[in-house]
Amino acid sequence: MANARALDKRRKSVKNIRKITRTMELIATARFKKAMDRAASASAYTDRITNLVGDLTKTGLKVQHPLLEQRDETNRVVVLVLTSNRGLCGGYNGNVIRMANQRWDEVSSSSSDIPTAELEISGKRGLSAFKYRGITPHESYSHFEDKPRFDEVEVLADRYLEQYIAGDLDRLDVVYTQFQTAARQRATIETLLPLGSLESENDDAADAATGGDSTYEFVPSAESILEEVVPTSFKVKLFKCFLDAAVSEQIARMVAMKSATENAGDLIKQLSMTYNRARQSQITGEIMEIIGGVEALKG
Amino acid sequence: MAEMQCLVVTPEETAVDEMVTFVALPLFDGEKGVGVGHAPLIGRMGTGELRLTTTDGGIKRYFIDGGFVQIADNVISIMSNRAIPAAKLKVEEVQEQLKTAAEQKANSDELLDARDKAVATARAQLRVAERS
Repeated sequence: MANARALDKRRKSVKNIRKITRTMELIATARFKKAMDRAASASAYTDRITNLVGDLTKTGLKVQHPLLEQRDETNRVVVLVLTSNRGLCGGYNGNVIRMANQRWDEVSSSSSDIPTAELEISGKRGLSAFKYRGITPHESYSHFEDKPRFDEVEVLADRYLEQYIAGDLDRLDVVYTQFQTAARQRATIETLLPLGSLESENDDAADAATGGDSTYEFVPSAESILEEVVPTSFKVKLFKCFLDAAVSEQIARMVAMKSATENAGDLIKQLSMTYNRARQSQITGEIMEIIGGVEALKG
Repeated sequence: MAEMQCLVVTPEETAVDEMVTFVALPLFDGEKGVGVGHAPLIGRMGTGELRLTTTDGGIKRYFIDGGFVQIADNVISIMSNRAIPAAKLKVEEVQEQLKTAAEQKANSDELLDARDKAVATARAQLRVAERS
C-alpha cells in the first residue's frame, strides 16, 4: 500500500493546481467577453463598409482596383502566422502552427514556382515552434496581446499595401484561427492579397433584386471613394483576423482550463479514496499489532 | 421635433450613436453642414472636427481621422479610423505630437508624404484641442 503521507502531499498539490486552473478559467472568461465585444464592434464597421460598397456598385460603377486583380506571376509571397504569446490554451497554437508549417513547406520548397517566400510570425508560441524546426521568420511580432489595437494592425497593413502596390509583394496568406461561433473555431488560411472580391458581391445581387435604387450624391466621385474603400476594407479584414485570433485564443484557454479543473477534481477524488484506504489499512495494521502484543502477553 | 440619427463607427468601437438636429463634419475638401432631411450622399472625409448638436441643444465635438460618410433617410453613418472626443485631447500632448511629426526624417518621397500626413493630422488635432 502506498504511503499515506505521500498521497496526502500529492493531493494538496493537485488542489493547488486546481485553484490556479480555475482562476485562469475565470480570467479567460472575462477576457473572452471583452474580446467578443470588440469583435462585434468591428463587424459593425465592416457591415457599414460593405453597405457602402453595395451602394457604390449600384451606380453601375465597375469595381476595379489593383488590389482586387489576380496577378499572372507570383514572385513574392508572405505567410503571416497569428499565434498567441502564452500557452496553456489547448490545441489553439498547435492547430495554427501545423497548418502554417504545411503552407510554408508548400511555398518555400524548391519544387514550388515561387521564387521568394517570407514568413512572418506574431506570437511567442509560433516563434518558438518555428525556431524548434530551425526556421527563422523574416519578421516577428510579439506585441499583439489579447486586445490588438487598430493602430498597431494598420502599421502592418500599410506596409503590405505599399509593397503590393509597388509590386514587391504578390500574395499575402494569413494563417489564423477563425472564429465561427462561440463553440466553433477553426484554423484557416486566408489569402488577403489580392483581395479577390469585395465581400459585398452576394449582398449586392440581393439588394438589387429588392429594387433598392438609392440615388446618392458622391463627393468627390464614386471612383475616388472606391479607391479609398478598397484599401480600407483590406485593413479591416486584416484587423478582423487579429480580433478573431484573440477571441479564439481566449475561448481555447477557457475550454482547456475548464477541463483541467475538472480533471484535477477527478484526480483529487481518486487520491482521496486511495489515501483513505491507505490510512485505514495503516490503522488496521497498528491495531493488529497491538492485539498481537496483548495476545502474546496473555500467553 | 425634427431629428436624425448620427452614428460614428471605428474598427474598434461604435463611438457615437445619438439623435441629433445638426451635424458639421469634415469632408476631404472642407467642412460640411448636414441638417434634417439632407439628400442622400456618400463622401470622403478628411481630418478635422465633427460637431453634433444633440436634440437637447448640447454640442458634442470629436476629432475624426479620415474615412467615409454615408447619409440616407436621416441617418448619418460615419466610418473613420479614429474618433476621439475633443475633451480627451490635451493641447500640450498634441503639440508634442506635432513637434515629433515635424522632426521626422524625410529623405524620400514616401517618407515626405508620410511626414506631411502626420503633420497635417497633428495640426487638425491641435485645432480641435485648442477650441475646447
